[in-house]
Order: sequence, then structure tokens, then C-alpha cells
Amino acid sequence: MTSSLLANLLTEPPGVAHYMTVGAVMFVCGAMCMATKRNALGVLMGIELVLNGANLNFIAFGSKYLDNGGPQLGLDGSLIALFVIVLAAAEAAVALAIALNFYNNHDSIDVDRADQLQG
Amino acid sequence: MDLTPATALPKLLAAAWLLPLASFVVILFVGKRLGPHGKWAGYLAVGAIVSAFLLSCIAMFAVWLPNHELPVAHHGEHHEEGDQHDDAPAADDHAHGTAALLHDSPQSVQIDRQSPFQLAAFQEEAAHADDHAAEGHAANPPPTYYFGDWYSLGQFGNLKLTIGYYIDALTVTMFCMVTLIASCVHIYALGYMHDELHYPYHDHEVIVHGHHLSRPGRFHRFFQYLSLFCFSMLGIVIAGNVAMVFVFWELVGICSYFLIGFYFERHSASTAANKAFIVNRVGDFGMLIGMMALWASLGTFAFGDKQDAKGQTVLTESGAIAEPGIFSQLRTAENGYRLVPPASMIAEETRQQPAIEAEDAAAGKAGHWLLLVAGVGIFCGCVGKSAQFPLHVWLPDAMEGPTPVSALVHSATMVAAGVYLVGRFYPAFCPEALLVIAIIGCITLSLAATIAITATDIKRVLAYSTVSQLGYMMLALGLGGWIAGLFHLITHAFFKSLLFMCSGSVIHAVHTNDMTEMGGLRKKMPITAYTMLIGCLAIIGAGVPLTPIGFSGYFSKDSIIEQAWSHAQTNGGVYWAFLAMAVIGASMTAFYMFRLWFMTFTGAPRDHHKYDHAHESPRTMTGPLVLLAIFAIAVAWPAFRLTGLLEQAQPVGTAAGGSGVLIEDLVVPAEHLSHAPDIKLRAGLAAFSSALIGVFGAAVVYLWGYLNPREIKQTFKPIYTLLWNKWYFDQLYDILFIRPALFIGRQIAAFDRGVIDWFLHSCAWVVRLFSMVFDLVFDRTLVDGTVNTAANWTWDFGLLLRRFQTGSLRQYVLFIVMGTWFMCLAYFAAAFVLMS
Amino acid sequence: MDAIYWPSVFFLIFGALACGFALAVLLSANIVRMAFYLVMSLAATAGLFFLAGQEFVGAMQLLIYVGGTLVLLIFGVMLTSQERFVNMKTLAGDWVIGMIAGGALLSLLTAAAFSVPEWRGPERAAVENLPIEPNATPIGMGLLGARVDQIGAPADERAGMAGYLFPFEIVSVHLLVVLIGAAYLARAKRRSNPLPTG
Repeated sequence: MTSSLLANLLTEPPGVAHYMTVGAVMFVCGAMCMATKRNALGVLMGIELVLNGANLNFIAFGSKYLDNGGPQLGLDGSLIALFVIVLAAAEAAVALAIALNFYNNHDSIDVDRADQLQG
Repeated sequence: MDLTPATALPKLLAAAWLLPLASFVVILFVGKRLGPHGKWAGYLAVGAIVSAFLLSCIAMFAVWLPNHELPVAHHGEHHEEGDQHDDAPAADDHAHGTAALLHDSPQSVQIDRQSPFQLAAFQEEAAHADDHAAEGHAANPPPTYYFGDWYSLGQFGNLKLTIGYYIDALTVTMFCMVTLIASCVHIYALGYMHDELHYPYHDHEVIVHGHHLSRPGRFHRFFQYLSLFCFSMLGIVIAGNVAMVFVFWELVGICSYFLIGFYFERHSASTAANKAFIVNRVGDFGMLIGMMALWASLGTFAFGDKQDAKGQTVLTESGAIAEPGIFSQLRTAENGYRLVPPASMIAEETRQQPAIEAEDAAAGKAGHWLLLVAGVGIFCGCVGKSAQFPLHVWLPDAMEGPTPVSALVHSATMVAAGVYLVGRFYPAFCPEALLVIAIIGCITLSLAATIAITATDIKRVLAYSTVSQLGYMMLALGLGGWIAGLFHLITHAFFKSLLFMCSGSVIHAVHTNDMTEMGGLRKKMPITAYTMLIGCLAIIGAGVPLTPIGFSGYFSKDSIIEQAWSHAQTNGGVYWAFLAMAVIGASMTAFYMFRLWFMTFTGAPRDHHKYDHAHESPRTMTGPLVLLAIFAIAVAWPAFRLTGLLEQAQPVGTAAGGSGVLIEDLVVPAEHLSHAPDIKLRAGLAAFSSALIGVFGAAVVYLWGYLNPREIKQTFKPIYTLLWNKWYFDQLYDILFIRPALFIGRQIAAFDRGVIDWFLHSCAWVVRLFSMVFDLVFDRTLVDGTVNTAANWTWDFGLLLRRFQTGSLRQYVLFIVMGTWFMCLAYFAAAFVLMS
Repeated sequence: MDAIYWPSVFFLIFGALACGFALAVLLSANIVRMAFYLVMSLAATAGLFFLAGQEFVGAMQLLIYVGGTLVLLIFGVMLTSQERFVNMKTLAGDWVIGMIAGGALLSLLTAAAFSVPEWRGPERAAVENLPIEPNATPIGMGLLGARVDQIGAPADERAGMAGYLFPFEIVSVHLLVVLIGAAYLARAKRRSNPLPTG
């Protein structure tokens, strides 16, 4: 099926599902990054990937070139994507500040050391 | 200034009345801060009462006397016109019995000249007087008075409660008397209470933890109470209606309570204060009944008729009195000012007791029983306040208060308020009620005099003397001697307050009340000794018989004995007992008063330590003594025409006496009949000789020592014991009232504990048992079980969840991912199941 | 065989780049390389945005992410780049569990994406001749509260679409607050008693 899908894609336009697949890959990569990286900045990069994967979906649903009669977000998709980018930037700034603070306090960037929430 | 009586009198007297109140309020709030330890509070109170005295004097001499002609002695017909004694007051006439006889009726002149003491002449004279009474003095119209309201408290139906005034000659006289004595007492107290300025004050009669009680001085508080008392006393005097009288009646009662209990740390003082208060309540209960009887039948509390601004009685268009007071309703002009129960009173009695009333109406006695109830009820209040038998027991105990209090409250003013009220209510007393008053007064005077003979506490002797003298006044009033009774009230106020203040001076010097520890003090404190001698002479009625020369008591007491004589002569029989008791009482008075004086001031000192310590009192104390001594000598002198002033206030329709309806042969003789020369002569001689016997007896025993008092005691041991124990009245009341009351109280308490408490405790026990069972059966198993199970579940669940809280961020991410996955899987599974 | 549809080709290229670099980020152990791979992945995603006709969002993606956020990240890397933190090994067990969970999630998401027929691509004829309309202006107007795409819509549908002026305002304030907060959190540690007395 994959081959036919790829072959098809050379002559036929991609749809929402394709964008969603790319987004899913990025999302899962990001989530795995968060789950496996011990470096706090790595976790932060995972978050960026997750957000981008989600953003791809908004863009896909808001694009009229990918519309095949399904539900459409139209301009809202673009606007929400923009907000997500802005929020991602903000989150990055705060998360970086937290990471630096953590580094200053623990003299380490290892998230496994941050287990004060253990029940 | 406008000195019209109708406008000026209420203002002047109200100012005199309210000044002590102002002083009280000021001392109440800032008394402690007035000078060192409140010293200026005393000066403030003195200033207030002296100002009140000056205002009263203005009212008397600048307003009342210039506007009201003193009556020509009302028995002026007995004299020739222009006789030098004509304008003299009634009381001096007895002194001129012989002289008067010479000028009286022409037919008796000859006989008189030959034998002034011839009986026939007296009888004829008396007969003449009787005729004369029937004509001219049948009934006197209401006296000049000013009546009105300052402030209306409220009106409920026809019940009007107002703060008003009723001002007649008696009111003004009482104002002058009360404020003068109060001024003297206030000034005297500045010296007497000086110890209270010390900080701390050591009370040597109270032992606390083995030491004398030490407390802050209460100088300002003493004057605060005194001021309140003066305000209340003047309130009684000026009151325009019964309700207001009752209010101030209670106010003087509470002041008396405060002042008796001034040294409330002393157990005897606090119990004496309680006793005075409670005994007075018994009398006040009767007074309330009397007030209710009057109000229910007459519909008003007011003494006088409604007046306009000029002091004229307001009339309706038909000429009737617009708002008649109590007296106008009971003694109407139509009935010739005789006491006749008005229709409303008969209606009220019919409503209460239809059967009895029908019987009474047939016998012509309709309404008289209610009249008697009202009169005796009001008199009950006077019995309590004036310490008459059987409520006399509180007054001797009241001597626990400071001596200035005894001088002012418990001899001169408050206890005299009862007599004053009887005098004020005189038109409402039917002859039967007057008989009750006379009987009570007679019993009181003899009882108290006998007790005074054996008492050794100087103040108690004076207290019993006061009770006895009040009995005299009641007797006089009850026998129809309105002027005699109130005359004695005024004179007694002066000499008894003098006596009390002298005794206070002695106590101040020797620090004991016990006469057996005194003696010979005359040399140490001459002013006190001789002023007290004047007081003693005044109280025994010393004077030259048959002349107008004598101390004040001489005039007033003789007029009482004359009235008793007149009454006995009119009624005869057992009514001679009143006269006998009055004369014997006079003898006893003389005995115990001179016993007191001899024991205190003459002979050898019995306690040398106290004698050496004794000293004359400071001028603040001796000054008032001298002033009062002058008044005790001279106040009743005919030249000052005190009886004339009182005569101006003679209550409506009472001058003619009256005769009983319920007791048909009872006759209250007209007062002027007692001025008949034969009565005057015999009464004067009887009084003089009885007093002389009393003084002589005292001198024999206590001055010259011919008889040893101890031997007399031994001989008359049963009587002595009886008198020493005050006729066992306290013990009697203890058995009759206090123990039954305590017994009933204990029974009720036992009932409370045994029955009510038992029931409640049983209920409580049952409820407790039930709740214990309920607790075991329901709470611990079901409720607790449910709650504990839920709690255990929560606990276990929490322990389970705790394992997931690893604190590792990376694991959390994994949990999220897996959670999402499982949720989506569950969704798809559910969708698949639903679709298939 | 139809003519090659070039947008699809570019989609394949950019999609492969985005996924590949994302995987590289995941698999790389070196934090500096990870940062580089992330830049590449995000840039490829921007390309995908352009392909979807969202040129303004793509431009923002490049500007903010690649130009701003990632610079910030790289600064963070530099600030904390002690030798022992550059390469941090993870336990193999964690990798296994992560891969299992990630694979499960990926399969689920992919399956979901292709489970809806309308989400497949449109007909080539339907989109080939669609006019190319720059959407910067509608986005700008939307942020100012005016929805140009809703002009022809019926009134009742338009009622709930009030534009994004208010969220835009909130987001701008939010950014400001976040910047202040970040600066506060990341500030240099001061000694509690900077000027010893005496």
C-alpha cells in the first residue's frame, strides 16, 4: 500500500491525511524525545517537535488546497497555528529559564535528578 | 422678677428641687476627680443644698408670705377683737389659757375670775365651742394651693402620669425645713466624714484576713447619695399626684438603703440596709393597694384640681370643676366639704362586692369600706416609711449608717415623710381610718419609748425616740389634730436632727456608740453637751406651763396632748387610753432623754482611755449644732406663727373633724376644740408634770445616783429582759416570717432537687443510655464502618497511585502517551462494537 | 501515467525531511547535534506550510522558530554545555519502553489519519486550477477582528466569528508576562547579603 500511496502522490495532490501522517511522525518523535532524553534541553526540543506536529494538523485542516469535502477550519486554522507558534515561543522562553534555574540550583541538567514530586 | 405665687412658686421650688439632682449627677460622673480624693464633691453638694435652701427661703418670705395673709387665729371668736394674742398662732393659746378665759364668753368671765380651774366653766366653754363648730367651722373650703404639671409622662386611658406640683403652705414650709436641716447636715458631714478623705481609709470594725479593712475613701459617694436623697425628699414634698409621690417614695427608700449600707463591708450595715429595704417594701405593698383603690374608684392620681396659669381652678361651662383631683372628688362643695364616697367609688365597690354593697347601701354605708381600704392602704406605706408598729424594726438597725445620715434621713426627713403623706392625704381618711392611724401611732409611741429606756447605744436610744415621736405625730393625726401632728413634725425635725448630730459629735470624739463607756464628757466638749441639752429639753417639751415660754417641743407636744384630751373627752370610754399613753409616753421620753444626757455628759468617766481621747469637734460640726439648737429653741415660738402657716394648708373639710359611719359612735373632734382653755390647762399641766417626773426619775438614778440602775435591773429582770430584747419583735418576726419563708424556700428547693431535678436527671439518664446503645449498635458498626471503609479504600487507592508518582518527568510523558493510546483504543473498540 | 504533480513531489521531499530530521533528533545523543537537526526539521515543516498555501504562517515559522526560539535553545545549550551533559546516555530499558509506546501511538495516529475518506487527497482537477491567493491580509484582518472570509456567509453563521482581536491582545500580554517571568527566573543568583556591613 505504501508504494501505491507514494506512486499516487506523484500525480495526485496530497491530502489532509498525508499531512497528518507527517505530523504524527513528528509528534511521536517529539514525545519519545521527551520520554527518553535525560538532558532537560532535549526534553525541550521534544516539546518543540510535538507542538510542530500538532501545528501541521491545524495547517492541513485550514488549507483549501488539501480540501476534499471534509470538515474545514479555513482561516481559523492559520490563526490558531500562529497562536501555537507564539505560545511555543513563550513556553520555550519560560522552560529555558526554568532549566537554567534548575541548572543553577542542582548544578546539573539531568531531569532524573528532578524527582522531588515523587509520591 | 415676677413674684406672683402661681408663676414664681413652681419655678423657685423646682429650682430648689433640681439643684441637688444636678449635684448628684455631677458627683456621679466626675466625683472622684473633684479635688483630692473627691473633697470638692462635698463643697459642691453643700453649695447645691444651701442654694436650694436660699431658693426655698425666697419662695417662703418673698413669695408666699407677702401674698397670703396668715389667718387670724381661727378661734378668734374666743377673744376680743384686737386682743394682743389675736394674730398669734393657735399654739400659743394654751399658754394663755387663763388669760384667754378672761376674754372669752361674757357669761364665763365671772366664774373664771373666781376660779380659773373650776370645771363647770370649762364644760360650758366646751359646749360653746361645740355650738360654734357647728356654725362657723362646719367645713373649711380647700386651702390656697397651686397645682399643675411640669411634664406629662404619658396618658393611658384616663390614667395620667405626670410630673407635677402641688404647692401650698405645707409644701413651702417643708421645703424650708428640709433644705435647712439638709444644709446643716451637709456642712456637718464635711467634718464628720473627714476620715473618708484619707487614702486608704481604715475601717476598724471590719477585719479582713486578720487586718483592719483598708479601702479607698468614699467621701464623694457619701455626698452623692445625700444629694440624691435631698432631691428625692423634695420630690415627695412637691409632688402633685400620688404616682409621683410613690416614685420619690421609692427613691428615698433606695437612698436610705445606700446610706445605711454606706459601710457595706460591715456585715451589720449591709444586713441593716437589706432589712430597711425589705420592711419598707411590705409597707409599700399596702400603699400600692391604696393607690389602686383610689385610682380605680376616682380615676385620677392628682391631688388638686386643674388650674390655669393664674392659679385659678379651671371650671367647665356648667360651673363644675373641670378635672377634679382626689380631694375635690371626695369632699365636694355640694356635700359641704364632708367626706362622702363619690358615686364612682360606690360603683366600684358594687362591681367588686355586689352582695355586701347592697347591704351597706341599705345601712347608708355605701362606698365606705372602699374608702377605708384606700385610707388604710396609703397609711400602710406611711407605716413602713415612718417605722410605725409593726414595721418599726428597721429604723433602730438603720443607725448603722453614718450619723449625718441618721440625722437627716432617719430622723428629720425621710421617716417624717410618712407623717407628711398622712397629712397630705388627710381629706381622704375616713374616721375609721384615722382610728387605725391613732391606734398604730399610740402603740408605736409607747412601745418605742419603753425600749428606749433600756437601750445603751446612744444612737439607738435616739432611734427609738424617733420612732416614738413619729408615733406621737401619727397619734395626733389619727385623733384629728392635723396641725398638731405636722407642727410636731416640723419641731421634731429640728431637735431630733440636733440630737443626732450631737450624738454624732460624741461618737466622733470617743469612737464608740455605747453610753456605758462614756460619762463626764461635758467638760471635754461643752458645745456638744449644751446643744444636746437644748435638744433634750426641746424633745421633752420643756417650758413654763401656762405661758408662751418654752422650747419648741413644748408647743407641739402640748398641742398633741390637748388633741388627745379633746378626743377622749368627746368619745369617752377606752379612748382615754390614747391620752394616757400620750402622757405616759411624754414621761418616758423625758426619762430616757435625760438618762442619755446624764450618762453621756455628767458623772465620772467610765472609760478613761476614751475620755482622755475625747475632744470637741471641729467647727464644721459645732456650727450646725448651734444653728439647729437656735431653731430647736425658737422655731415654735408663737411670734413666728408657724401654726398659722400650717393652718393655711389645712386640708379641705378637715377642720371640723367628722364622725364615723362604719363605727357610728366614733367622733373626730374639730381641732380648734382642743384649744378650749380647760383642755389647754389640764393638758399643759399633765404634760409638764409627766415630763418633770421623767427628768426627776432620770436624775435620781443617773445624776445623783440615789438608786443603782443595776439593782433596778435585777428587781425588774423579766421586764428589763423584755425591753432589752426590744419586746422580742425581731425574734417574733424571725419565727413568724423569716423562718417560715426560709422553711418554704427550703421545701421548694428540696422539691426542686428531689422531684424536678430527679425527673430531669432521669430523663437525661435515659437519653444517655439510649445514645450509648445507639452508639454501639448503629454508629460504631454502620456509620463508622461505612466511613472507615471508604477511608480505607481511599487510602489504598492513594497508596496505589503513589507508585505512579515517580517524580520522573520522562515517565510522566510515557504515561501520557500510553494513556492517550489506550483511550483511543478504547474509543475505537467501542465504535467497532457498536457498529457491528 | 499522468504528469507529475510537482506540489506532491515537494510534499514528499519536505515531509521526508521533516520526519527524517525529527527522527534524527530523537535518535541523536549529542545535544548540539539535536539542536541542529531540530532546526532542519522545523525548516522543512515551514516548507510544508508553504505547500499548503499558508505562506504567512510558514514565514512566521521560519522567523520565530528557526530565527528566535531555536537561537534561544542553542543559547541554553551553550550555557549548560559542560562535557558531562553533552552526551547523556539513557538506559536501554527506557528506550525499549519508549519505542513500544511511541510505535503504538504512531500506528494509532496513522491509522486514524487514513481512516477518514474525506481526509485523503482531493482530485487533482479540483485543486490544480485554484487561484493562488496570499492569505497574509485575511490573517492580519482576522487578528484585527475583521473576518474577510466570512463576508458572504449567512448572518447566523457569522455571529460566533468575531475575529481574533481579543485573543491577539491576550497573547501579546501573555508574551510580555512570560518574558518578564523568564527574565526573573533566569536572573543571576545574588548573594543574600551583597554588601557586608562593617
